[in-house]
Amino acid sequence: MSNKSILLFGYGNHGKFIAKGLVDDGFEVSIIESNETFYTQAIEDGFEQTLKVDVTKDEDLEALHPELYTQLVCVMDNEHLNVFLTLSLRSLFKESYILAISDSMHTTKKLQMAGANKVIDMYEVSANKIHNILNRPVATQLLEEFVTHKNGIGFREYIIPNESFLHGLMTDDIDLSKYGVLLVGMIDEELGNHFSFITAGINHKLDSGDTIVCIGEAKKLDSFESLIGK
Amino acid sequence: MNKLLLSIALFLYSSNRYKNFKKFVHNVLTDANNPYKKYVDITIIFLIITSVFILIYEVKHSVPEWLDTYDIYFVSLVFSIEYLLRLWVHNDISEPIVKEYKESLFLQRDFLPMGVLKEGLREKVRYMFTPSALIDLLAIFPAYRPLRVLRIFVLFRVLKLLRYTKSINQFTEVLASKRFELLTLLFLLFFVVMTAGIAIYVMEEHTNPHINSLFDALYWALVTISTVGYGDISPVTTEGRTISILVIISGIAMISFATSVIVSAFSEKLSELKENRIIEQVNKSKSFLLVCGYGQMTKMFFRHYGGEYNNYIILESLLERMDQARKDGYEAIHEDASRYETLNKFNTDHCDITILCLTSNDIENIYITLNAKSISKSIKVIARANDSTMLSKFKHAGADHVIMPNKVANSMIHTAITQPTMYKAIHAILTGKSVARIDEIRAYECKAIVGKSIESLAFKQSKLLFMGVQRSGKFMFNPLHSEIIQAEDILLVMGRKISLDYFKSLYKEKG
Repeated sequence: MSNKSILLFGYGNHGKFIAKGLVDDGFEVSIIESNETFYTQAIEDGFEQTLKVDVTKDEDLEALHPELYTQLVCVMDNEHLNVFLTLSLRSLFKESYILAISDSMHTTKKLQMAGANKVIDMYEVSANKIHNILNRPVATQLLEEFVTHKNGIGFREYIIPNESFLHGLMTDDIDLSKYGVLLVGMIDEELGNHFSFITAGINHKLDSGDTIVCIGEAKKLDSFESLIGK
Repeated sequence: MNKLLLSIALFLYSSNRYKNFKKFVHNVLTDANNPYKKYVDITIIFLIITSVFILIYEVKHSVPEWLDTYDIYFVSLVFSIEYLLRLWVHNDISEPIVKEYKESLFLQRDFLPMGVLKEGLREKVRYMFTPSALIDLLAIFPAYRPLRVLRIFVLFRVLKLLRYTKSINQFTEVLASKRFELLTLLFLLFFVVMTAGIAIYVMEEHTNPHINSLFDALYWALVTISTVGYGDISPVTTEGRTISILVIISGIAMISFATSVIVSAFSEKLSELKENRIIEQVNKSKSFLLVCGYGQMTKMFFRHYGGEYNNYIILESLLERMDQARKDGYEAIHEDASRYETLNKFNTDHCDITILCLTSNDIENIYITLNAKSISKSIKVIARANDSTMLSKFKHAGADHVIMPNKVANSMIHTAITQPTMYKAIHAILTGKSVARIDEIRAYECKAIVGKSIESLAFKQSKLLFMGVQRSGKFMFNPLHSEIIQAEDILLVMGRKISLDYFKSLYKEKG
């Protein structure tokens, strides 16, 4: 299995769109569905790696070898089934990274208790968005465009290679704007796996192995990527 | 004569200044949502109160002359002006005359303005005989000094307060809704008082020293039936006392009847009164939110951000949900936002209104959007859509923003899978909870930055990351450092809230 393989449970309301987006981004997606209609739909949409499995049976789940995938994504349309599936997967595969979607705030809690690593609450994210639109309409719209790379500007993360010119520099001293990119934040390996924003006011020392997140135009990001490798 | 009339009418009709002024006066006097009406109201109420105070003070003390002059001339003058203005703005005469003239030209018949003029004047007279206009007129009278008794007309000034106090208006409205019951009761009362009064008059006129006339007898009957019972007149014969017993019993019955009628009228109208109060309250604020529907989406929104919004109303057409919203501690009213009357209650002319259509039904949301936009284009609408096929329809209906919970969640999942490091960052930015938030600085709000170059602004000092400028709808990412900020620009920055506030304060002081 490649590094970017996803096991997607559910090809309903959410699964359909997520699957397409992931394939477009070059991910290898395997779809598991228990509903006949959705299963046929997935096959019709050209997803060859689609299996019809009864997700309530542990032995069937084990046969899928979820441990081989980088992430397990539970987005079944049936809320109850989704929670049960999350719980089963967690109890069977302690190490797996499970991402689940929740259609209501009550389910969010249940999914978290069932052991999902990350739960995305549909209403919560939408409520956030409404709040943002009300308070900073322009910033919200732009940010969304950055995330979806709509206007050519987007975020990208880099791991600083050995012998990079960035190695050993302090974040306060570097100005990347001449390369057409801006440093947004970083994960400092020395300080644990915690993402910190450049504007938090802490002066970090960049080391090889650290992850930095930059924003910029796609082309500039590409050329910057080759630049830091030198 | 007709020519003169026509030229005056034409002049007034075509003069925009006259029209605007008339409209302005009309709004100031009658439109509760007009921001200036408040001041007119306060002035009039002040005049009324001082006038009544002078009346009371005058009973035992001599009033200084200036106060008297104030009361007689100034207050009355203001009231007369107010009266005349109200009469003036009540209807328009020039327009029908011009219309009549145009019609006569069209039909090539004689121009006869007298008919419409009379009709217009008749309308004014009709207005003069409405209760509120009569009270206004009577309130001017106390200025006429020679007749001392006219002083009591100052009390009509108190009645004038009715116009300015909403609660009394509501009280009369409530009573008016039970007009039939109350009239029946009044008629019954009249009947019993008359019968009992005549009876006691016939029985006791010769024996009772206190009953000398029919008026005394009727007075006794009313005092008795109302259970007041002064006791200055009381029956002395057995027949008279028998009548008393009957009158007292019917009195108790009538009072309990009257009480129950009024109480039920109020309990029926109570929720409506309450809702009107909430609406009035919010109408006074400069900008507010109308949230349609109290479902999952609204609950989530208020759970997270409820504290940050002070001026809002939740409109919910289902009674149970409305009750739930109230139980949860939110301002909610039981109204259907898709009805024209509902949205029209809000002060669409003077407030910035943002409507959140958050019901789970797309058709309902589109309908509310259209409804809002048909009332005023300036109402901002943020709508929720469940089905992606509805998106174009929402745009067509005029929604300013459309939120699709499915799509938002899907894109979040997508980001969480494809850019796991970034997801945290983006999530933090989106929720605005962490140290980093992407925010906007509007140049017109910090005037001091206009005309300055980007490199001269204190982004570094306030620990903000400058990302770009939104200028006339286009975003310039990481522009040249020598770029000059223009008045319409919106600056996109990332940083902590305190940094942002600091930055804004830096440039506010200098401005």
